[in-house]
Amino acid sequence: MVLEGAIIYSNLLVLLALGLTLTYITTNVPNFAQGSFAIVGSYIAVTLLRIFHIHPYFSLPFLLIAGAIVGFSTYLILKPLVARRADVEILMIATLAIDLILLGTIGAYSEILSKIVGFTQAKFVFSQLDFSIFGIKGIFFVSIAVTLLLLFCLYLLLYKTKFGTALRASMENPDLAETMGINVEQTRAFSWALSGALAAVAGGLLPFMQEIVPMTGDIIIISIFASSIVGGLTHITGALVGGYIIGLSESLITYYLSSIFGTGFLVYGKVVALVIMIITLLFVPSGIMGINWGKRPKK
Amino acid sequence: MMDILQLILLWFGIYYIVAVSLNMEFGYAGIPNFGKALSVLVGAISVGGILNRLLIWYFGVKGDLIEGSTFAIARMNEIIAAHPLAGIFLLLIAILLAMVVGFVVGMIFILPSAKLKADYLGVTLLAISEAIFLVCVYNLSIIGGYYGISTPDILAFAPGEKRGWIFAGIVLVFAFLSFLFMEKLLNTPYGRVLKAMRENEDVVKCFGRDIMKLRMRTMAIGSAIGAIAGVLYSFYTGNIVANSFTRVEWTFFPFLMILLGGKGNNKGVALGVLAYVIVIVFLDIYKYDIKEIFHIPFEPVWLTYILFGITMLLILYYKPTGLIPERPVKTPPVKRIMED
Amino acid sequence: MKFTLGNEMIEVRGLNAGYGKLQILFGIDAHVEPHKITTIVGPNGSGKSTFLKSLFGLNDIYSGQIIYKGQDITRVPPYEKVRMKIAYLPQTGNVFVNLTVEENLKIAGYVLDKARVKERIDVALSVFPELKKILKRKANTLSGGQRQFLAMGMALVREAEFLMLDEPTAQLSPKLAEVIFQKIIEMRDQFKLTILLVEQNAKRALEVSDNGYMFVSGKVAFAGGAKELLEHEKFEEYFLGISGS
Repeated sequence: MVLEGAIIYSNLLVLLALGLTLTYITTNVPNFAQGSFAIVGSYIAVTLLRIFHIHPYFSLPFLLIAGAIVGFSTYLILKPLVARRADVEILMIATLAIDLILLGTIGAYSEILSKIVGFTQAKFVFSQLDFSIFGIKGIFFVSIAVTLLLLFCLYLLLYKTKFGTALRASMENPDLAETMGINVEQTRAFSWALSGALAAVAGGLLPFMQEIVPMTGDIIIISIFASSIVGGLTHITGALVGGYIIGLSESLITYYLSSIFGTGFLVYGKVVALVIMIITLLFVPSGIMGINWGKRPKK
Repeated sequence: MMDILQLILLWFGIYYIVAVSLNMEFGYAGIPNFGKALSVLVGAISVGGILNRLLIWYFGVKGDLIEGSTFAIARMNEIIAAHPLAGIFLLLIAILLAMVVGFVVGMIFILPSAKLKADYLGVTLLAISEAIFLVCVYNLSIIGGYYGISTPDILAFAPGEKRGWIFAGIVLVFAFLSFLFMEKLLNTPYGRVLKAMRENEDVVKCFGRDIMKLRMRTMAIGSAIGAIAGVLYSFYTGNIVANSFTRVEWTFFPFLMILLGGKGNNKGVALGVLAYVIVIVFLDIYKYDIKEIFHIPFEPVWLTYILFGITMLLILYYKPTGLIPERPVKTPPVKRIMED
Repeated sequence: MKFTLGNEMIEVRGLNAGYGKLQILFGIDAHVEPHKITTIVGPNGSGKSTFLKSLFGLNDIYSGQIIYKGQDITRVPPYEKVRMKIAYLPQTGNVFVNLTVEENLKIAGYVLDKARVKERIDVALSVFPELKKILKRKANTLSGGQRQFLAMGMALVREAEFLMLDEPTAQLSPKLAEVIFQKIIEMRDQFKLTILLVEQNAKRALEVSDNGYMFVSGKVAFAGGAKELLEHEKFEEYFLGISGS
């Protein structure tokens, strides 16, 4: 049961961390709004459910598009600053500002939605809508399937298409990519759209395992950053590795410790993520995938 | 109207202390301290978590922190009502305590990331601050969590109508002291090294200064000052609710004030704080009228978030140097040249 | 200096350029003749590399004009210039190290259609047969010479007509440098490429060139035939002690 929850959580973290890493690599922006991207997805899913009676599992394709729009819009807002080559501190403050705008919008929207449907939408869960197979929650299978599918598509995109090669080329060396005739600006915008889309899908699944409030994004952001940093902020595969490390340890270690020290320990989940992140930063600042595993380029 | 002025002065003082210390960290030293809220929380912990416990122990009150505080505070307030000096003494003790704790916490706070690049640094500081905030909210035994605990009324001797004014006065005194301290400190070679570090770390390294030590010292001092604001805020409201030490309130808004006023300039920051405080005080007073007039179908607080978020972006776009830009460093030789 | 209008591949008039507030180039007038190798030499910090970057649009141009085949391209973004068959090879980081050799060659033909890319890769491999055996290797496993071959091969894939090379022989052994020079000549003769070369290895570079420029402190100190520049009295003055490297 605990492992089940831990795996669900890890799957979602992977999707979120992937987006964070992607936009960090392409635009050098550590995006503090990534958590709120997800919650935008959650609220769109609940809207589709309450008003159009669409089951959240079926609204995922729509979330993909809506999330892409949110991600792309964020990039448009950041673009003048990126173009000006603003310091990374300034870019971080800008994403904090965008996060605050999203939080305000989500909060306001949650109250409007409550008025429309007649009962409060400030907090909600989807778990009552879930199916189960042999006593295992549906979200377990769905989150695995969705994550694998998205990862597979991402792999095909990055390694089997011309645009994907161009995308990897601009991640590695934007100036050189420009000299190849690649519109780097376009690849940046695309990575933000992709990041938003992945986050929104994660957001659509998140209410199946925890209660959503407008602030949820601001809490989950710690785990997202921890995942990306532990895996290595400059490697896409890092998000994958980091997501599972943080997701599993946050759930399992916290559970284990709370079984010793009592349930009061459950609030320390984020502390576990934080401690793992700090240990990584102290010993391997470039993250697990940043380690040169015995391979050295020949000179 | 006078009440509004009093509120403006009070909030100006509290926020100025936070902003001026953040200005040293961010404006001067270039440390993106996205965990500024932690230092304010430390002030609250010093009052609610330490001072209250000392009072409970002193008066020999039974019960847990939340219950015990209520009784101990009642006893303390009786004493202060009779002996005003006891209130002042308590305030000074709390501030001293908070500064010491803040100093130590600030140093430990930046330790894991003191050597890292700005982006990792900012993320780590935010994450540490946020994690500690969450623990303080959900673990009721630290400062009462979301349930809250009461704090001593250091002005229990003053009549109700004067209390606000006296408190505003106290806050302004501490704000002014913080300003003087920072101006003095930052006009020494230390302040100039901080600015040099912000511009180019390598140059500072070449002069044999250790970046890590500089950053630790800066964060220690910054957090000690920031903690003062936490103490004053906790005493002013008469209780501590952990939920009120949010990142938005105590990190994002101070950043907004600094960038609005002009980072790296303590006077500019004062202007930024004042502008913010005036807006927020009026918004707070008239928010329900605004809601009525414009038929806003939700809590006005969400609208403030959106508006302040947009304001921040506009500042970053059009006025990144703020209202009063940073002055060039005036070393004695430079002053001489400029005066000639 | 004489301009024979209409016959230049590229013509630069009064170029002032640099990085942000730091101006590096001051009123440069220059022109490059088609199907010839033009080499720019000059001491360190004279603005040679910045000149190439400016032509490609990678830094700030304050004033002046860049005319390419009679068209003003001063403000044209780099990725558009690629479509105009202009190629620029930076000194370092001129291949994508995380991509394989094959992927690098393919990405070089990004603006071409698929069939054409294939054709061009075959052309590039015929000039640089050394690359054939290492197509599947990641570029970060290549030697310095192999990387340079790859970078130049990529320029061929791009169907470049005008090729700018920034110190292609830097950090290569004299023997390997000589191979690179021979490939540059081959590219001019076989594909009628126009080549603009910036070289630290000034003497040898000018020997294989048709025309030469000397830059000093961001200004043109000499313009003319490569031979004339080699024999110019000032040449020794500026390059004594540097030319041999």
